[in-house]
Formats: sequence, structure tokens, C-alpha cells
Amino acid sequence: MARVRVNASAGFYVLLVWFAAVNGPRPLLTVLAAALVHECGHLAALRSCDARVTAVRFGVCGAVLESDCVHLSYGQELFCVLAGPGANLFAAALVTAAGNPWPAFTGANLILCAFNLLPVRPLDGGRGLELLLSWAAGPAAGEYAARWVSAAGALVLASGLVYVMRQSGGSLWLLPAAAGLLAVSFRECVGRA
Amino acid sequence: MSLARTTVRKYAKRARKRRRRQFWQFMICGAAFVSLVAAKVYGPEHAATLRRVLSGAMDRNMDLQEVFSTVGRTFAGENDPARGLREVWQAVLLPPDGAETLSETVPEVPETLTPHEWSDSFGNSTAFASLSEPWPETSGAAVIPDPPSDGSAFDNTHPAGQASVLYTGQNLPENVGLEQVLLNFDYQCPVQGTLTSGFGYRKHPIDGAERFHYGVDIAAETGTAIVSFADGVVTATGESTSFGKYCTVEHSGGFTTLYAHCSRITAASGAAVRMGDKLAEVGATGQATGPHLHFALQREGIYLNPVYYLAG
Repeated sequence: MARVRVNASAGFYVLLVWFAAVNGPRPLLTVLAAALVHECGHLAALRSCDARVTAVRFGVCGAVLESDCVHLSYGQELFCVLAGPGANLFAAALVTAAGNPWPAFTGANLILCAFNLLPVRPLDGGRGLELLLSWAAGPAAGEYAARWVSAAGALVLASGLVYVMRQSGGSLWLLPAAAGLLAVSFRECVGRA
Repeated sequence: MSLARTTVRKYAKRARKRRRRQFWQFMICGAAFVSLVAAKVYGPEHAATLRRVLSGAMDRNMDLQEVFSTVGRTFAGENDPARGLREVWQAVLLPPDGAETLSETVPEVPETLTPHEWSDSFGNSTAFASLSEPWPETSGAAVIPDPPSDGSAFDNTHPAGQASVLYTGQNLPENVGLEQVLLNFDYQCPVQGTLTSGFGYRKHPIDGAERFHYGVDIAAETGTAIVSFADGVVTATGESTSFGKYCTVEHSGGFTTLYAHCSRITAASGAAVRMGDKLAEVGATGQATGPHLHFALQREGIYLNPVYYLAG
């Protein structure tokens, strides 16, 4: 069995400690549990398609799974990309069906699902949109459309976060997220996706 | 041979690039460190102001657990979607924590008055507006009761034998009523335990600040049943960083009761309950130093002293 490289950036640890210090351990555990469900969804889908995970990278933007998915069809890759949000949705539905004993876990799964479905690369929504368009209209058209949708989406989201920070008089921990989204928007505009 | 040379050159180029990046990262961090030290040495007042502004902005954080719980409850159909959206909006933009540190001149939002928990019970925008506005000058806290200064003073002695405190119109929060209102329904004490903190100004057990306590604290073992004060409808169940697990019940005549810091909520939002029906269990969730029930009583936005009704 081939080795899977696991790599976590310093920024990831800083963000983790900052999040725990500001929000307390319970929201952190809730988010981590939902993130675990999300990544398990991707993993299960990749395994079902016989794709091998080569690396797992943890950064300030979350976890990224790298795989040798070159042999996958557009449909299979789309399935693997959407499996993460799908797993979150499934987990939320499962907990709700069991009488919703952990509403915070349900909510975290739903929020993570919705967040990842935003049409901004490298989020699942952005990747999914690119794959879907590439499948329908060819890779060049898919890449072009996904780039501009992603740039515009990131810009709108960054503006939204700045608005929330302004209205709430703080929430400084949203600042790295807003800066990251602006960087994504810039990168997409200059064509380095 | 030439392929090997190309590969080596590629690796060397990549290593050079990495070293250059690390050098600039080091320089930026060093410059930031030197600037901060210089600011602290040459402009301590500015540094202190900057630190206060930054800490205030960082403390003004959204109540994430509340956001998650509200979304989860709305998805499960326990909340009306419009109300869920409003609660999320409140938790994001009007977080209960850090309000004090934002500005020293803005009086605090009291522990027991987290907006989203009560706004719905009274269902009007006044509740929202009054929470976003500064509180009246109440930071003078309690008036020591010797001698009574005027006829408008009220005696707030409670049966647990704590020191009596007099309040006047000047130092009493405007959403507090000290009169004993007659309830036109049957009621009972929601939990069997020991009254540990009364209604009125007190030193906050966690941060030590002088604050108005908008309810009473009744200490009891974790898991002790908390029952409904009177017949009514459960209007909200939830969890927040300050209240922990809580629920509110609306009774007839515009009265609402709050049960906070519970270990478990057993009643469902929207359920009709009778006096004595189990709502929750005692716990120490949220900002609590031990297992107890924080019990508060409101009538049309005015907090009343629940101690008058605990013997019922």
C-alpha cells in the first residue's frame, strides 16, 4: 500500500489555536467533526472509483486531498468532488432523523456543506462547476467560465465578510478569510488558477 | 546525462526559490516585531490604545455555537425558518460576548439579556432596538441602604438572607420592575435547591464586574429535574455561550420564564406544557461556576424579581 503524505502548514496550527482561543473548545470540536465527515465523504468516493489518495494537506483554507484521479471520467470526478458536501448533508439528515440530539453538529454540517458548495475554486462548488462545464462544453470553456465565476464569487464573499466585520464591530478572525478570498479573486483574474 | 543535469538544475532552482521565500518571510516577521517593540517603547499610549482597539475587535466575535445550533434546529423543523434566520443574524451581528471590551463607554449587555433568546418571546422590534442601544447609566450599581434617601427606594431583601439593597430610579435598569405583580395563574418553584444569587446588582462570579443580575440562581445537583413554572408554551430551546442550554416558556398574561445553564433540555420548542411538567435538567453549561438553574421572569419586556414566586 502506497504511503499517503500528510502535511500541515504552520498557518493551519495558528488558525486552530486562534479559533480555539476565541471560540472555545466546543465549536472547534464541532467544526472538526463536521470536517472529518466531509473528508470521509471524499475518501469513500475516491476509493469507490479506485482512485488513490496521495497526500492530505492541511492549510489555512482547510484540508485538501490530493489523488491520482487522472483516469477518472468527468462524472466520476464530479461524484468525488460532491461526495464531501453530500456526506455533510447525509450526516445532518441522519442526526435529525435520530431526534436531533446534537443540533450544533447538524448545523455545522449544513454550514460546511453550503460553504463548500460556493462556486469558488478551490472549494468543491468551484471545482464541481468547472468539471460540469468542462463536461458540457469542453475543458477550455469550463476553465474560462469557472475562473470568472470564481473570481466574482470570491470578491462578493470577501465583501460580505468585510460587511459582517463592520456591522459587528470586530470579528477579526474573519479577516484572514476575507484576505484569502481576495487573493483567490486576484489569482483567478490574473489567470494563475 | 543531459536529462540528469536538467533535473539537478530544476531542483537547485526550486531550492533557491524556497530560500528566497523564507528569507522574505523572515524579514517581514522581523520588521513587524521591531515595529511593535519600537511602538511600545516610543509611543506607549498609542500602543496601549492600539492593543485595546484590537482586543475589543477580536473579542467581538460571533457566537458560533449558537449559529450552528440555530441552523441545526431550523433544519430539523424545531424553529420557524424566518425566526432561525433572525437568530443567526443576531448571533453573528450582536454577539453576547465581548460587548464590554468593545468600548469602555458603552454599558454592558447584561448576561441575562441575550437578544435572540428573548426577542421572540415578545415578538416586537422594540426588543431588538433596546438591546442595540446603550443602557442607561446603571454602572453606579447598588445603593447601600443606610439611610433610605427618598420615598422611591425599594427594598429588595430576598429570603436567602443576603444583604438588602436599595435601588432608585436613577440606578435601576429601565427594563426592570421591582414591584410584586400578582399572577393570575398557578405557579410553582421550577427546581428544588438552594438560592445562591438573587435579583439585582451583584459582583459577577466569573469576571468580577458589578452587573445587574436579571434573575435568580438556584443551585442543585446536576441532573435534577427543572419543571415548568406555570402552564404555557415552550417558545425557544437552544444553546449559547453565556446561557449554555436554555429554554423559554411563554405563559398567559404576557409572562415569560427563562431556564438557563441546563445540562439537558427535555422539552421541545413549540410544545404546550403544564405547571410542573419537566422541561430540562440542572447543569453548568455556558458561563457557570457550578450546577445551578438561572431562572428569570419577564412581563412584556420588563424583568421581574422571581423570588416572590419561588415559594409558590
